[in-house]
Amino acid sequence: MAYSEKVIDHYEHPRNVGSFDKGDESVGTGMVGAPACGDVMKLQIKVNPVSGVIEDARFKTYGCGSAIASSSLVTEWVKGKTLDQAAALKNSEIAEELALPPVKIHCSILAEDAIKAAVNDYRQKHGAGQAI
Amino acid sequence: MLDTCRELERQGFEVTYLDVQPDGLLDLEVFKAAIRSDTILASVMYVNNEIGVIQDIAAIGAICREKGIVFHVDAAQATGRVEFDLSRMPVDLMSLTSHKTYGPKGIGALFVRRKPRVRIEAQMHGGGHERGMRSGTLPTHQIVGMGEAYRIAKEEMGAENVRIRALHDRMLAGLKDVEQVFINGHLEQRVPHNLNMSFNYVEGESLIMGIKGLAVSSGSACTSASLEPSYVLRALGRSDELAHSSLRMTIGRWTTEEEIDYAVETIKLNVAKLRDLSPLWDMYKEGIDISTIQWAAH
Repeated sequence: MAYSEKVIDHYEHPRNVGSFDKGDESVGTGMVGAPACGDVMKLQIKVNPVSGVIEDARFKTYGCGSAIASSSLVTEWVKGKTLDQAAALKNSEIAEELALPPVKIHCSILAEDAIKAAVNDYRQKHGAGQAI
Repeated sequence: MLDTCRELERQGFEVTYLDVQPDGLLDLEVFKAAIRSDTILASVMYVNNEIGVIQDIAAIGAICREKGIVFHVDAAQATGRVEFDLSRMPVDLMSLTSHKTYGPKGIGALFVRRKPRVRIEAQMHGGGHERGMRSGTLPTHQIVGMGEAYRIAKEEMGAENVRIRALHDRMLAGLKDVEQVFINGHLEQRVPHNLNMSFNYVEGESLIMGIKGLAVSSGSACTSASLEPSYVLRALGRSDELAHSSLRMTIGRWTTEEEIDYAVETIKLNVAKLRDLSPLWDMYKEGIDISTIQWAAH
């Protein structure tokens, strides 16, 4: 498997690895994928309750290098975005940025699902739960 | 073998596929019970390419003789590793390949027993070479290369197996105490060249990406281009996630003790690094049984 330089960089130096307290009111958590499929992503966002802007993000991923890179990249991208902007992120943008080969496109889809799930979780906590 | 069986099924033959025991070995009673009155052939891999277990070919062959069915053995991984003598073994057909025993790529052989005689059909037709069984001009250089590779393998096998067993044990000793590690395949009934382990909560492909200096594979080389977990490990009853977390390490003629030590250190380092990244590892540490969670398959 030939990986792009960006995938290798994120794999070797993953950004924003870690966890926030799931119970924290300002945190939204998204966990997607399945161990049996070989990918599980956990993505968390910390939201400013006044402005609705994502101030920080963390991830942990079980999966191939492309899955790790996709989630690492997403944590960088969502910082500074509003919930709506973050939820509007498209997997094709991730796949393009990381130059993912066709067999790894599902990693970018999973990363998009993860951010949507995290935004959804935050919104549900704040009484605005709605399926995106 | 599987693809050949699928092609035979397409032609109208019926094929029974047998699962192995959790240690990778075939249960002889299960094998015996699966033979039908109209069974014409059984085919078994001598040494498995992913987990290195050695099947009891003599015993399986004896069952086939008793039932009067043709016995084919794929010995591609056995030559130069397991001692066997076809003049005494109840094997009718045996597939051999050169490159797995340090010979040139592009040549193999099919052993066809004369007594009791096995009749086979030609796959290629034309020039009538090799009694019409395989038409095409014989590649002398390939044949000599394979013969010479086998000669060297036979000569060095005794000492090589002892040396490689020691390296295997060294590697195993270095890795077996890693938390949540599982050894795939029977520990004694195997070729020492192969060590297959699953590092739970670490995905195999990402591990390979980290251990750049090592040429290893996850699952089998044949399936690592796809995203399916190894069917061999699934046949052992390993869960999908343990199959996804497997690493096949092989030791060869030129592997040294220093290289084994380097491999052990590199693997341990990267397993630890990837577990720090793994949400499943966190859950395991928190005492959450991941099999109880409703995951969304994708």
